[in-house]
Amino acid sequence: MQPQSSPAPAMSTVRVVRNLVVLLVALAFVAAACGSDDEEASNVATSECGTDSSFDEATEPVTDLSVAIVAPSASQDLAFTQSMVDAVAALGIEPQITDGTFQVEAAAEAIRGYADSGVDVVIAHGTQFGGSLAEIAPDFPETSFVWGTSSETQGLDNVFAYTPAADQGGYVMGTVAAAISESGTIGMVGPIDAGDAALYVDGFVAGAESAGANVNVSFTGSFGDVPLATEAATAHVGAGADVLTGTAQHVVGAINVASANDIPWFGTQANQESLAPELVVASQVYHWEVVLADIFDQVEAGTLGGEVYELTLENNGLVIEFNGCYELAEDVKNGALETIDGIIDGSISTGA
Amino acid sequence: MLEMRGITKRFPGVVANDDVSFDLRAGEVHTLLGENGAGKSTLMKILFGLYQPDAGEILLQGRPVTITSPTDAIEHRIGMVHQHFMLVPTLTVAENVALGLPSMRRPFTDLDTVSQRMVEISDQYGLTVDPSIEVWKLSVGERQRVEIIKALYREAELLVLDEPTAVLTPQEVDDLFVILRQMTEAGRGLVFISHKLREVLDLSDRITVLRNGVVTGTTVPAEASLERLAEMMVGREVSLAPDKPPVATGRPRLVLEHVTVIGDRDTVAVDGVDLEVRAGEIVGIAGVSGNGQRELAETIAGLRPAEPGSSVQIDRADVTTADAATTRAAGLAYVPEERMKDGAIGEFDVGENLLLVNHRDPSFLRGGLFDFERIRLHCQRLVDAFSVKTPTLQTPTSSLSGGNIQKLILARELDSDPTVLLAAQPTRGVDIGAAEYIHGQLIERRSEGVAVLLISEDLDEILALADRIAVMYEGRIVQLVDRADATREGLGLAMAGAADRSPG
Amino acid sequence: MSDFFTLSVLVATFASGVRLATPYLLAGLGETVGQRSGVLNLGVDGVMLLSAFGAYWTSLETGSLLLGVGAGLLVGLVMGVVYGIITVIFQAEQGISGIGIYLFGLGFSDLLFEEMVGTPTPIKSLPKYSIPGLSRLPILGEALFEHNLMTYAAFLLVPLVALLLMKTTFGMNVRAVGENPEAADSLGVSVGLTRFAAIMVGNGMAGLAGAALTLGLGIFQPNLTQGLGFIAVALVYFGAWRARGVMLGALLYGIVAAVVLQLKARELIPLEASDLAAMAPAVLTIVALVVVAGRIEAPAALTNPFSRH
Repeated sequence: MQPQSSPAPAMSTVRVVRNLVVLLVALAFVAAACGSDDEEASNVATSECGTDSSFDEATEPVTDLSVAIVAPSASQDLAFTQSMVDAVAALGIEPQITDGTFQVEAAAEAIRGYADSGVDVVIAHGTQFGGSLAEIAPDFPETSFVWGTSSETQGLDNVFAYTPAADQGGYVMGTVAAAISESGTIGMVGPIDAGDAALYVDGFVAGAESAGANVNVSFTGSFGDVPLATEAATAHVGAGADVLTGTAQHVVGAINVASANDIPWFGTQANQESLAPELVVASQVYHWEVVLADIFDQVEAGTLGGEVYELTLENNGLVIEFNGCYELAEDVKNGALETIDGIIDGSISTGA
Repeated sequence: MLEMRGITKRFPGVVANDDVSFDLRAGEVHTLLGENGAGKSTLMKILFGLYQPDAGEILLQGRPVTITSPTDAIEHRIGMVHQHFMLVPTLTVAENVALGLPSMRRPFTDLDTVSQRMVEISDQYGLTVDPSIEVWKLSVGERQRVEIIKALYREAELLVLDEPTAVLTPQEVDDLFVILRQMTEAGRGLVFISHKLREVLDLSDRITVLRNGVVTGTTVPAEASLERLAEMMVGREVSLAPDKPPVATGRPRLVLEHVTVIGDRDTVAVDGVDLEVRAGEIVGIAGVSGNGQRELAETIAGLRPAEPGSSVQIDRADVTTADAATTRAAGLAYVPEERMKDGAIGEFDVGENLLLVNHRDPSFLRGGLFDFERIRLHCQRLVDAFSVKTPTLQTPTSSLSGGNIQKLILARELDSDPTVLLAAQPTRGVDIGAAEYIHGQLIERRSEGVAVLLISEDLDEILALADRIAVMYEGRIVQLVDRADATREGLGLAMAGAADRSPG
Repeated sequence: MSDFFTLSVLVATFASGVRLATPYLLAGLGETVGQRSGVLNLGVDGVMLLSAFGAYWTSLETGSLLLGVGAGLLVGLVMGVVYGIITVIFQAEQGISGIGIYLFGLGFSDLLFEEMVGTPTPIKSLPKYSIPGLSRLPILGEALFEHNLMTYAAFLLVPLVALLLMKTTFGMNVRAVGENPEAADSLGVSVGLTRFAAIMVGNGMAGLAGAALTLGLGIFQPNLTQGLGFIAVALVYFGAWRARGVMLGALLYGIVAAVVLQLKARELIPLEASDLAAMAPAVLTIVALVVVAGRIEAPAALTNPFSRH
């Protein structure tokens, strides 16, 4: 899998803009794959700065199963939804997608619709869809539902659940953030104190505190309110934060504040380098494909659910993607790698 | 100055004007007389460009004109004072006058100039009103002045007044007539729409009567009488002054002591009213609406709480705090002011409305369910007895005429053999025939020993029916006199708040 | 708390509140004009989304913020024509029509974004413009006079909208048709034209609100407004259909939100209470709405289509 050079990006061609981000994310996979010859674990990757690269289009599909995704925000939100869409694409599968269903009722309609039309695996990508799923799944015993983030299957035997141990990557990045912060104050912008956002926040705070920095946390009460996230980040900067991080799709506003103030940023859920190419230090990226591959195998073997999968640093479902364009001191990065090892072998507790 | 020839206007299912001709000369008052629905307003809306006629033509100063909008009408110097005032309550008087007129200071309004000219017009006709005040703060009479000023400001030569006296006190009516005569003296032509015969005879130069969309005749006051006009309106002889046999009054059946009620706007609506109505008498409460009559009626009926210290007794039973059902059980029958809001349910059919108050009566039940045959017989009996004109018992009540709805309510209320009958505005908006019938019923009940409390804005009605008359002003009874001692002028003054405050 | 009650923090908080208030204010002022004419537009949020996308995409493609603002305004006006045709010419039920406009705006802006842009791409955001002299004022300078031009425009529009409504012939006609359209009609004021024009003003300002939002942030993403337009409609009630009232409402909402964020950034709100505190702006606004708006009546003809018969 060798990077090929792509045509020069032309802003007027909208498709290219859109693809660019896909490419950047893909690039990370490629880089991760390329790095695998130094026996380094593939839970770390570093993008190559300034390159425009493409990778081989789809790999061979890992399965013939038909797959559908129902997700609350846009497919290319550079956050939660995109992480799942990219993961399925990475397995060479072309899923049917209903995105932007921030209303649970609309999502429930879509989930039922897919199951009804005979889709083999329906991915209900949102904790809030659990209630609907409990009603729908028993009606379609032949369909496998994949639901997250959740750490339980609600006792339904045709539901797989998945959850990211977002605290792990959060912890690692917290230690890195503490190392580059001069003021010792880090600003965090989150949505609500629940789900993987809460895990990320807890892990990040624990990591930063273990390295002697303080994290001020703002939950805005919303996943998508960009103005609030922007003002929250602005308030953090005013309160002395010189490193920012955040989670949920509204962080696009906070990242702009980081850009405007030349402040380093740590991302999570998907790779956010495209939003601030010089300032994103690292992103914790969810690689759901690790668990999806297992789930598809199980479905093909006739098991439609009943198990909970967790993305961890250990199973490479969580990947810390460092930005090649951000010059991170070598010892800090090595410290991060040691922290990863420590989390995997259990010698470090993320506190979550 | 105006000639309308052969005007015909049809609405779905009804011919509102059928080949109607009407003319007006400069300097005269020409009255259009007719019952509700006779086609007076339709004819004038055609003149004002609000409706288009299906046939016929309009000539102004001898030239045929087409009037397709109020703007056209205004350009032709036609002004109209609508029955329901065409005023914007939240705008000031000057803004209401300026509305629709070009401003000299575009794009801004030029209210100073408007106010100045307004004051000139006001002075000329004695139409005093403050240009800078918002219309909602004005009294009804003042609002009407604003309407007239609006027309005069637009230099109307021909002014249509649609039921202008309906909302005025007798004194205000007198004032209005003075103003109107000044206008005719200045050469303007007035079309006066009314169904109040006395006023019509008082003011008109000529009178044209409409019935069911057709002109039944044109006359002059010198050749007309109240009875003759009523006959032209109704199409048969009517008795305007009902016979009232003398009845010996009995003991007090409705007693109000210091009744005080808070109104919808958290202000005192009824302020310490003392009144008793004896068996065999009709007590009339006169007054301009909005002076507490509605609140008083609702309190008596158990629909509105009275303040502590008040007392309402029906046949010695204290019903001050009783609900509507208990009050009814004590012997009250209630004909409410808003017949379609409080008196009947428009979507219900005639039979259902007749059964509204006694649907729990066990005689209508069989095995816990309605006995529909018995109910049908009961309703049919009431409809016949009170000559309610309805195609069937299943007809939706809202499709009946006002007079028939009122008869239906009366039938239901009187069926319970009440000892006290409270009737609020029982003939408002009702045709003369039905009014005659309702009046007859009130008198009949009085003869049977029922105590009747009649609340009405129509002074003629009060004078014709009541044995004693109370005048309400700002929540108080400001005058209480025997019919024999009452004069139209004295009552009118009291209604306007000019009476001695001590009742009696 | 001492951390919070320092001058610089209070000033920064106020400035933050003013920024947050800007799109609410623009949309609310426009909706005030519309409602005064008797037309309720529950589709403000949808109009804002479409115009925000239009402004963002234009800026992204041309690099010009000015063209972006123009595009936002244009999209707003186009939506005004649509809403005018629906509610004035076809006299459709306004509540349902507005929801239709909202859903259309939500879905169509999302579709356009996915098709034409794809992923949130930062653009140059509206620069701050310090007003010479005034921005040097102690305290007030930073809080009031270091904002982008759309914020100044929004606050400048407060007296202008009041002037439009209270002192111009058009404004008088608007108030008349919103209160008693029959009366206006009887004097030759065209109810339809007046309402249509008021809708155009309202939607044009919703367009500017969308532009102010996206260009102020320098980013767009699907459902960027998150229901902001609905709160703007509520603020019209809170503001008792007066420009100044709407401004106070928008500022209340923005400043409460800013205070909460500022307190969180300084760890003055415990993390456990964080979600609760995030509701404060909405809750306070609703309470204010109940207390204030309960006393003042809406334009009498609000939501009533007009026809002569």
